[in-house]
Amino acid sequence: MKNIVLIILIAILAYNSVYFEKLSELADSGTSEFNFGAYADSLYNQGILKNDEAVNLEVLLNELKTDKDLAFKNYGNRLGIGSSAFFMTKIEGEVIAKTELGLKVRTPSKQVVEVDTKFIFGNAIRDASQLVQLTDFKTNAEFNALSEALNQIIREKEIPVQLEKINQGDHVSVTGALKLSKNQELPIQLLPVKLKRQ
Amino acid sequence: MKIKALVTLFLIVLFCTGCQKEKDTEKPKVAVVISTLNNPWFVVLAESAAENARTLGYEAKIFDSQNNPAVESDNFENLISSGFDAILFNPTDADGSVSNILKAKEAGVPVFCMDREVNSNEAATSQVLSDNYSGCVELGIEFVKALNEKGKYVEIIGLVGDNNTWARSGGFHSVVDKFPGFEMVAQQSGDFDRNKAMEVLETIMQAHPDIDAVFCGNDAMALGAYQALQSAGKADKVKVFGFDGADEVIEKIAEGKIVATGMQYPKVMAETAAKYADEYFKGKRDFPQRVPVEVELVVKENAKRFLNDK
Repeated sequence: MKNIVLIILIAILAYNSVYFEKLSELADSGTSEFNFGAYADSLYNQGILKNDEAVNLEVLLNELKTDKDLAFKNYGNRLGIGSSAFFMTKIEGEVIAKTELGLKVRTPSKQVVEVDTKFIFGNAIRDASQLVQLTDFKTNAEFNALSEALNQIIREKEIPVQLEKINQGDHVSVTGALKLSKNQELPIQLLPVKLKRQ
Repeated sequence: MKIKALVTLFLIVLFCTGCQKEKDTEKPKVAVVISTLNNPWFVVLAESAAENARTLGYEAKIFDSQNNPAVESDNFENLISSGFDAILFNPTDADGSVSNILKAKEAGVPVFCMDREVNSNEAATSQVLSDNYSGCVELGIEFVKALNEKGKYVEIIGLVGDNNTWARSGGFHSVVDKFPGFEMVAQQSGDFDRNKAMEVLETIMQAHPDIDAVFCGNDAMALGAYQALQSAGKADKVKVFGFDGADEVIEKIAEGKIVATGMQYPKVMAETAAKYADEYFKGKRDFPQRVPVEVELVVKENAKRFLNDK
């Protein structure tokens, strides 16, 4: 009897002396209670959608040919140091295909632009909007958390509804973030913030 | 007697003036405190920082913290008492290093962090950091595409106490976790170390022999993982991803043996931190607290450009 009690006691002690915690939970333990979802919602609806500063893609591409540095300075946004920048651009044209990635749109100047609705991730839209500054958040982790909340609204809520109404052959207007680099030629691919059938 | 006293006084004044002049003409001293010199990447960061400080006209000395916060703390005490005027700093720990920076701040010595972030906005004068998160978002997208949106994978993260570890992991997961076809069978720390990562993956593969990919928090660990896969005869089947832009990894990317990495720019970070110290000496005080430095995606298609740039 004594031995059984002893074994039970040892088992209880052993169980309570070991505590497993996921590495990712350990990293998350310091996360602040700021409501990124509400902030991102307001940034999208009150900021990005109402901002009419997006540059026409054709205008941008022409200005890049004339003076790359000036075009980057006038329309691009790079937070920190780097050779690339994000641009909020708009196009109009005909949907020539609905693909697994999103849409292929042919503009009046015959340029085919890929609209990527699948990989709306990272800081492209946040930075292209030029509405958020590095100093607005205390840590890089918070600054990136805002992007995740914003991308989630656009990728999972807004764009799927807009995309559903669009078919091949439709004329559409698209506003979206574009990444360009001074060092290398990147594909002209828009991460949309707004899709509209005309 | 009076003449003797006057001569002595004159000599004392002359000596003190001489000392003052010597102090005035002495070059400011810049300390470069690095988390570890046992990793080539940090050697590049340290040497670039010291070289840039010297080019700007300052004395520079490198201190190795040996990945040990206690050694780092000793380094700070020594360099403060030795009269260093600025510190270009690569911390060992996001939380633990804050008190060292505050010690320097109290002594009037500005600290410019390089590559690794500390969890305080009030300690360092400025922090010049790789944009680890964005770099790993791009790697995450590449990962999803390379694996056709499905598969079992292992994540080998870096040092648990380093913010870069979690920024990289966070960027990667912000993409990959949105695709339900993926299953992460293990997430373990390889401490940014090649041998440790190799051992970690060897152990994981005993329980999970059927993995499709390994995502590593730096290139040293990617090379360790690749070595483990080679020994197991799986290097052709399992896709490896790294982060840093090490020459050896870029060569393997060009050969199709490793899929992708994120190119960091330690020389740009070192140059910027040294430039900020120079501006500080010249009177500037309003520095941005955090300055992200772009990380570029390296894949087979563009690997040669990065090799040619070196």
